[in-house]
Amino acid sequence: MADAAPAVSARLVCKQFDGIEVLRDVSLDVAKGSTACIVGPSGSGKSTFLRCVNWLEQPTTGQILLNGAPMGVVPSPKGGTRPMTAKELALARTRVSMVFQHFALWPHLTVLGNVIEAPVHVLGRPRDEAVEDARRLLARVGLEAKADAFPHTLSGGQKQRVAISRALAMKPEVLLFDEPTSALDPEMVGEVLEVMRDLAKEGMTMMVVTHEMAFARDVADTIAFFDAGRVIETGDPKAFFTAPQTDRARRFLTRYGI
Amino acid sequence: MTWAAFETLLTGAGTTVALSLAGLAIGVPLGLALALIRWARIPVADQLVATYVSLVRATPLLTFVLFVFFVLPTMGLELDPVPAAIVTLALNTAPFNCEIWRAGLTNFPRDQLEAAEACGMTRTLAFRRIVAPQLWRVCLGPLVSEMTILLKATPAVAVIGVVEITRAASRIGAATYDPLPPFLAATVIYTLLIAVIVQAQRVIEALIARRYGYAAP
Repeated sequence: MADAAPAVSARLVCKQFDGIEVLRDVSLDVAKGSTACIVGPSGSGKSTFLRCVNWLEQPTTGQILLNGAPMGVVPSPKGGTRPMTAKELALARTRVSMVFQHFALWPHLTVLGNVIEAPVHVLGRPRDEAVEDARRLLARVGLEAKADAFPHTLSGGQKQRVAISRALAMKPEVLLFDEPTSALDPEMVGEVLEVMRDLAKEGMTMMVVTHEMAFARDVADTIAFFDAGRVIETGDPKAFFTAPQTDRARRFLTRYGI
Repeated sequence: MTWAAFETLLTGAGTTVALSLAGLAIGVPLGLALALIRWARIPVADQLVATYVSLVRATPLLTFVLFVFFVLPTMGLELDPVPAAIVTLALNTAPFNCEIWRAGLTNFPRDQLEAAEACGMTRTLAFRRIVAPQLWRVCLGPLVSEMTILLKATPAVAVIGVVEITRAASRIGAATYDPLPPFLAATVIYTLLIAVIVQAQRVIEALIARRYGYAAP
């Protein structure tokens, strides 16, 4: 039953940079419509893992499946796989959107321009339709008035909300967040998390690398705790936050006062 | 200095401008093409471009002109003085333009490129839609600086018989036994030409700043 396949399934993902092991046998399933929060100390491989999902980093070994279809590789008829061509990879990436820590908006385009850029030029959607869609998405994050502004005139929180609209404009199957609030002033964190909460409620499939433990506890359906390149604990957030299974997780949570 | 002499200088100025423009028209895009080859790390071509850039950077322009005009014919490529001058200027400025474009490409914010990739853009599309519109703004200053250097290097092509400003001035000086007026006039003309280029740069930068609120990313 293809419908039962998880939206994202990582299987034994390993990643090495110049012989240094960054990820080791990471396996994680994210069910359709659910939110997975990836937590853990800095340098534990959380972001690298997230970037493997849309192939910004190629896993050294292991597999990523998006709704059952392999990412980055194509099964060859004789068995085994071959790497995707640049075009195939670009097409596959349109199914996943990403929100970055430092927003990564394109400064030469207006807010509206940023949101419609990929739908028009990658997906080939008619411009009018993309604009209408973009205005709706911007209205929903409270930024319809900023459509014609350039990114450098926005606050950090506003930039990140634009980045979320840009990601949603692709109508992705999965939304990846790479520490979306880490570069924000404390006062702006709330407005971004609020948007993310709403998305989770509406059944968007999300993978969120975050240090916001309160958000993870309230919103996540699954928690994955990373340490030294491995997932050492996964499961229900309530269980994780009240009774972590491992010493490492307990020590980690203590530092957040949990 | 007679009116006829002044006309000679103006004709020389026309030649200088035409040679520079032709050199630029070929050299700037060629430089970009070379920079893209290096940026994309196309095997073999990358090495060839690197070698070409090093060679030209090490060769005095005068030597380069003489090479193009006198040595290329022995290899079966005979060029008249003006085409030879244009080819030399273009091939001389291209490597410098290449390095300018390449610096712009290398320093292009990585996160913007990753955002483009993550949205499913191919490299070509990302270059066209995201990189190119910002790249030329970053490179404008250094490119204009290289343009002024190119313009001031044009007297080197006088050696193969092309009459530009400096050659015209020295001819007038030799004929009248009074070199001061023609060379003063030549200096004024060079200054005006450079002023026009620099002013154009300022206007473009001001337009960019007004449109986008910043001069460069």
